[in-house]
Amino acid sequence: MPQATGVTTGTTGQGKPPGRAGWLLLTPLIVWAVAFVVAPALIMLVYSFASRGALGDVVYDFTLENYKGVGDPVYLQIVIKSALYAALTTVICLLAGYPVAYLIGRADERWRNLLLMAVMVPFWTSFLIRTYAWLTILKSEGLLNSLLIQLRLIAEPLEMLYTPGAVVLGLVYTFLPFMILPIYTSVEKLEGALIEAALDLGAGPLRAFSRVIVPLTSPGIAAGVLLVFVPALGIYAVNDILGGGRVDMIGNIIENQFKSARNWPFGAALGTTLLMSFAAIYFYVNRRQRAAIVK
Amino acid sequence: MSRFASLVLAALVGFAVPAAAEELSLFAWSEYIPQSVLDGFTKETGIEINYETYASNEEMLAKLVSGAASYDLIQPSEYTVEALVKANRLVKLDHAKLPNLKNIGKEYWGQPHDPKLEYSIPYMQGTVGIVINTEKVKEPVTGYNDFFQPKYKGRLVILDDALEIVTWALSSIGLDANSVTKENLEKVRPVIAKWLPLVKVYDSDSPKTALLNGDVDLGMVWSGEAAILIQEAPKKFRYVLPKEGAHMFIDNLAIPKGAENVPAAHKFMDYIMRPTVSVEISKEFPYTNPNVEARKLLTPAERANEASYPPGNPKLETFRDIGPIAADVDKLITDLKAKSGA
Repeated sequence: MPQATGVTTGTTGQGKPPGRAGWLLLTPLIVWAVAFVVAPALIMLVYSFASRGALGDVVYDFTLENYKGVGDPVYLQIVIKSALYAALTTVICLLAGYPVAYLIGRADERWRNLLLMAVMVPFWTSFLIRTYAWLTILKSEGLLNSLLIQLRLIAEPLEMLYTPGAVVLGLVYTFLPFMILPIYTSVEKLEGALIEAALDLGAGPLRAFSRVIVPLTSPGIAAGVLLVFVPALGIYAVNDILGGGRVDMIGNIIENQFKSARNWPFGAALGTTLLMSFAAIYFYVNRRQRAAIVK
Repeated sequence: MSRFASLVLAALVGFAVPAAAEELSLFAWSEYIPQSVLDGFTKETGIEINYETYASNEEMLAKLVSGAASYDLIQPSEYTVEALVKANRLVKLDHAKLPNLKNIGKEYWGQPHDPKLEYSIPYMQGTVGIVINTEKVKEPVTGYNDFFQPKYKGRLVILDDALEIVTWALSSIGLDANSVTKENLEKVRPVIAKWLPLVKVYDSDSPKTALLNGDVDLGMVWSGEAAILIQEAPKKFRYVLPKEGAHMFIDNLAIPKGAENVPAAHKFMDYIMRPTVSVEISKEFPYTNPNVEARKLLTPAERANEASYPPGNPKLETFRDIGPIAADVDKLITDLKAKSGA
């Protein structure tokens, strides 16, 4: 399928290295990446081998204790739970986001921009404010309960706020656009003729979808899955606000080490481990992606 | 000279001569010092205040210890004062520059963290107690064991604070709140394991919200939060100190070593101990005011608020610095919270 490979090489930008002008244009990006990505990661790496002083200061002696602590069942159970929450969020986002992205991608130009706008508009408001707004909707004397009682669908207010369900709702709400946008980009590039060809050659709609449309939009799906799963694993504000602090995720544990527990080295070890896992997931997804295309 | 050039010159001069105004850099709890008090100080002394805030003693310590910035005044709770004194990190106060110290009640002298107030002065004092929504809970709730009952499952808000929870459990089984040892942590583990599945919300920042919204009916919260609930609905909410013994905290002002403007820090301390200023703080943040002269300026209703000024002689205890075992306390609560469902 030459078209398919054409799409991917176009997006991953394989080719000759940038010339002098290219490097010049890249400088801001490189400076930014070194200052805000590489340097902090290195500081974390150094901290993660240090130990905690009496006042919670960082004492620079080489130790592996922090990494031993990461493997402790107490923290492992939370890592597993966070991964489950993040995976559930990703699946729901994919199921809900794919049809939306497909519709937007196949809509005619006038509608497309309007629909895209609708996906982006929530970003105009601060993420925290949007999350607090859910509090007003879900609380027991809140908008949703009042509405349902008014409509006589329920007699007693439902318990919605401060539940695991509220956390998943908040996570899906937060990350859905990150699933829709990359899939949309793939769908937009999709050649209509290929689908018609599949249908002409005897594939039913289901088969055309699973054998043609999904493989051709898989770069978008992969990007969407990464963009949702990775941040959902590390987030801590949504579960604090909508989960009432009951659902501790790995992000909360790390936050706690830097704040109330004052154990920066341990927090750094947890953070470094998480970063390494993200890198591993990224390479895994990327390799599968390539393998799928070669096939 | 063109207008642009004069602007540039003005900017350069501005950079070259560091602001003529004297500065005081204050590192304090968020939502704890009224803006009017800060403005009043600047107006009276001409000293500009650089105001930075934090949400927990631990956060403040982390920043102070990292040496990322220097501060002239900090606002630590009593156990943090103790830790800082132990580590020799506080400047000794000059009582001659603090004439208003005479307004501080005698019960604030002789406290274990700083018996002679050599390093710190009390800012506000509070307790951690039980708030009851009397419209929903009719029976009396007088202690930790009454509060954490299966029938209240899903109706409780408590502070999201590992050390607090552990001390409640210690008190509930008759141990001293400050006896945080490895053996005692094992003793309270089953108690807390029974408690946490009953909790609906953990919130240290604004535990009153869940109570006001009607999502929970009972809370174990800071007295200042309870006092605000009682102000808003005096008939609906009541505040009770647990009979097994309650945690009392004293938030203080202190000068960390390395402070650049020690005289201004003394001036600010003395300023906020002035009764007319101190009462302003009480009006906005209704904790217990350690300033007995300021208390006289409160309205009778404010003085009668049982959260701010608990009646009777409750058993109160302050926290002591527990040192490195804090990590075990944190791990115990992290573990039990994860196992408590959700």
